[in-house]
Amino acid sequence: MQAREWLHPVAAIRKRFQAWWQSRLPLRDTTTLTQRNVYILPTRPGLMLGLTVMTLLLASINYQLNLGYVLTFLLMGCAVVGIHVCHGTLRGLTMNLIAPDACFAGDNATIGINLVSPSRSIRYGIGLAVLGTQHWSWADVPAQGSTKVQVAFQPVQRGQYRVPPLTAETRYPLGTFRVWTVWRPAAQVLVYPKPEAHPPPLPPGEPRAGGAASLQRQHTGEFDGVRPYRRGDPLKLVVWKKAAKADELVSRDAQQVPRFELWLDLAQAGSGHAGQPEQSLSRLCAWVLMAERQGLHYGLRLHGLEIAPGSGEAHKRHCLQALALF
Amino acid sequence: MWLTLKTLPRDARDTLFLLLVIAWTIAPQIDNLPLWCSGMTASLLVWRGVIALRGSPMPSRWWLFAALALATAGTYFSFKTLLGRDAGVTFVIVLLALKTLEMRARRDAFVIFFLGFFALLSNFFYSQSLLTALSMLVALLGLLTALVNSHMPVGKPPLTHAARTAAWMALLGAPIMIVLFMLFPRIAPLWGVPSDAMAGRSGLSGTMQVGTIASLALDSSVAMRIKFEGRPPRQSSLYFRGPVFSAFDGRNWSPARRAVSQAAGTSAPIETSGDPIRYEVTLEGNNRPWVLVLDATPESPSLKGYSLFQTQTMQWLADAPISDIVRYKATSFTNYTLAGNPANQSLGENLTLPSGFNPRTQQLADEMRRDPQYSRADAATWVEAGMQRLRTQGYTYTLEPGVFGQHSADEFWFDKREGFCEHIASSFVVLMRALDVPARVVTGYQGGELNAVDGFWTVRQSDAHAWAEVWMGAKGWVRVDPTSAVAPGRTGSLQRLEIPQSALGQALSRVSPSFVVNLRAFWEATNNRWNQWVLNYSQAKQLNLLKNLGFESPSWEDLSYVLIALLVLASSGGALWTLWDRHRQDPWLRLLSRAHQRLTKAGLILPPQAAPRQIAEILQRMADQPPHTQRALSTELHAVSAWLLKLERWRYSPSKDRATTATLATLHREFQQLRWPKHLASSPLPLENTFS
Repeated sequence: MQAREWLHPVAAIRKRFQAWWQSRLPLRDTTTLTQRNVYILPTRPGLMLGLTVMTLLLASINYQLNLGYVLTFLLMGCAVVGIHVCHGTLRGLTMNLIAPDACFAGDNATIGINLVSPSRSIRYGIGLAVLGTQHWSWADVPAQGSTKVQVAFQPVQRGQYRVPPLTAETRYPLGTFRVWTVWRPAAQVLVYPKPEAHPPPLPPGEPRAGGAASLQRQHTGEFDGVRPYRRGDPLKLVVWKKAAKADELVSRDAQQVPRFELWLDLAQAGSGHAGQPEQSLSRLCAWVLMAERQGLHYGLRLHGLEIAPGSGEAHKRHCLQALALF
Repeated sequence: MWLTLKTLPRDARDTLFLLLVIAWTIAPQIDNLPLWCSGMTASLLVWRGVIALRGSPMPSRWWLFAALALATAGTYFSFKTLLGRDAGVTFVIVLLALKTLEMRARRDAFVIFFLGFFALLSNFFYSQSLLTALSMLVALLGLLTALVNSHMPVGKPPLTHAARTAAWMALLGAPIMIVLFMLFPRIAPLWGVPSDAMAGRSGLSGTMQVGTIASLALDSSVAMRIKFEGRPPRQSSLYFRGPVFSAFDGRNWSPARRAVSQAAGTSAPIETSGDPIRYEVTLEGNNRPWVLVLDATPESPSLKGYSLFQTQTMQWLADAPISDIVRYKATSFTNYTLAGNPANQSLGENLTLPSGFNPRTQQLADEMRRDPQYSRADAATWVEAGMQRLRTQGYTYTLEPGVFGQHSADEFWFDKREGFCEHIASSFVVLMRALDVPARVVTGYQGGELNAVDGFWTVRQSDAHAWAEVWMGAKGWVRVDPTSAVAPGRTGSLQRLEIPQSALGQALSRVSPSFVVNLRAFWEATNNRWNQWVLNYSQAKQLNLLKNLGFESPSWEDLSYVLIALLVLASSGGALWTLWDRHRQDPWLRLLSRAHQRLTKAGLILPPQAAPRQIAEILQRMADQPPHTQRALSTELHAVSAWLLKLERWRYSPSKDRATTATLATLHREFQQLRWPKHLASSPLPLENTFS
């Protein structure tokens, strides 16, 4: 890394400058673009147009073509107006960040951005991207209206992520100038660990505190809590033997099921690859998802943190958040 | 066409539109390009169009290389060079067409646009008429539309949107163009007037090969325009003098060997009488040093930027070719005597006939001389004899005299008996010389046409004429127009041979001949205005403009100062606008922030983004707290709070119609009328909680 920076001193300086400059930008989820935060520079075609205009001017001088002058100067005039139009395409635009949902590491986190234009004309060809990437999403913003644009980024690690700096740019109308802005949103996105691709089966349940008697009964394979099938019951709870005998479906009463308490424990998940907590967290994450899918009751034990067993979407999110922030 | 464009997929539509624009740009030049170039360009464009319509794949690079090689070879064989104007234009146009077959990425499209601008400019090499300008304006707008359209990446926006933007940009860019056009210093050509600058523009020629003026007769382009002060002279004396030809080699007429090399200052010995005719000439550039004036002009015409001198043959010459439209004033006398150079050598050259040419004419002269009828004939008698022959022996004036052979005078006098003015003049001079009368051919323009709309006389290339001058001893050189003997109408009432008209022209003139004449007059007047204001805009005019602005003795440095001053003015204007724009806000937000300021001034601490409802709630709560419960203050607080709620209701009301905009005005008025509390004790409320 050091050597490479040494080889490209300009690149290194530029990188450092950009880092310093970005850190100066205020963090906000809504930004209105003004003269202060919209930048403009000619593009390569812009320089080419300049060269073309100079050549046309030279031809006009040398052949004493008054109409050639007219053409050259009109082209210059259009280019100057083009600068203004280009700048105006971004200036005055308001961008609202729609805070992204939590996601898993390695997945795409989608950032929604609402572009609001107060002006009376359509703003064409506005591109948005995560700063430093080339995945542009293009949009036209209607006059006095708004458009939603989505850009995605891939968080690599779990944790609380700040939404990366975004950039908006336009080259409309002539492509001779690039007008852009850089925006650091304040919003954060929670990134869960990446679920292990092929996790081992869930660990066995622990006997519930004071539930020894019921443990016995479970071994006999009898269920006292049985009720007619209700829509939404997990298939696992259906008593298939009874269903084979009679025509009606019968479910085990869910409240009676948790004879065992399923504890997902970091200590258990880590066996096999000690010293690699990320992999353990990744496995726990897969287990949480698996347990939730199976409709089980489960709790989470991390070092010094315990989430009491439960189930449901809120519980799942609670567990995943704990994993993300651990 | 437009409908087809609408239903096509976007890529195909954009490509076809660009092809159309390119075709429109190139079309006016077809005549000036080599045939292979026009053909190749057309087929390349059609090929690309078919690819776009069918969505078939682009040709491989090898095809393009082959086409490029073909174009290079073609250009080289047509012009023997790849440099220079004509070769350059040909090459650029083929490249432009070829590049469309390679148009994949945006970068390729840019190359097309920039080549397109060159192709556009190259039209002006051949014509700078108003019509060309208008047609190229359309082409420019088309190119800009295509360029704008290529920067609308989303969906398939209608082309009219891009066209509207392009038109707006051109319209807003026009003031910049006008200022630059007026003030950009006109510099002399950087590496001399290129020799090919005027190729393709027709006009009188420096030598006269019998037959060249006839080709001009079909060219109705304007040679010059004249504005007479006072009464114009009669049509029949409107002889504008061009090159005078004394030397004849049997085929070509050329100027006397000494005529051009005469040093400046030795003007022709002219004696004038009668009233002077004063006029102003606007001469189209012809890349020749000839300054055309009426016969005879003893004083030098006032032409700025050139130094003029007169040859012994009374022709006015400038020291440099006139490459652009110029304007000059002149004073002429139709009654004059040109004494000529009595030196025998000069006259001798006007008697020389090459041997081996026109034997029958010389035979005729010999016979005439032997005729006792002419035993005492002088020059005037011989002229009359010649004219008599032309009048009575069935000679006719024609635009299409056919090809003349080696003995052109013989053919005219004896075989064809018809010819254009140059055949007649040439044959006449040959006959005179054979009769030992010094004679020479004079070319120039004869006549003109009054434009009733603006009072300018228009002289066209089709008015090009050739006549003779005969040495009559004491009378000097006398003009003899043998064509008038053959076709009296040609010089007297200025009847022209009818040039075949287009179908539309014929139809129009059948319906209303005067309408056509008026239309033409109007068009000519517009064109003239165009020439006077745009094409004739020169450094002299620029400096005049500065003089009117108050500069004492303007120079081109002053032009740059004015230009820079305007630039500074424009940029400071822009900066001011930027400042103003920065402070410009939504009127509602401005009202809210003013309310905010009032309350802050009174001592209330408010977070910057407090919404009106939040502020209103705080104020209401404050009104119930001890120090503010005094009646007057409490009322004030409630009033302000009510106003704030109203402000919020306006902003977020579901229907924004005209009634609500009136409310904004009301809100403003109420803001002024409200009694704002002066002193508010620091809020006893935990504000942080309210806004956390």
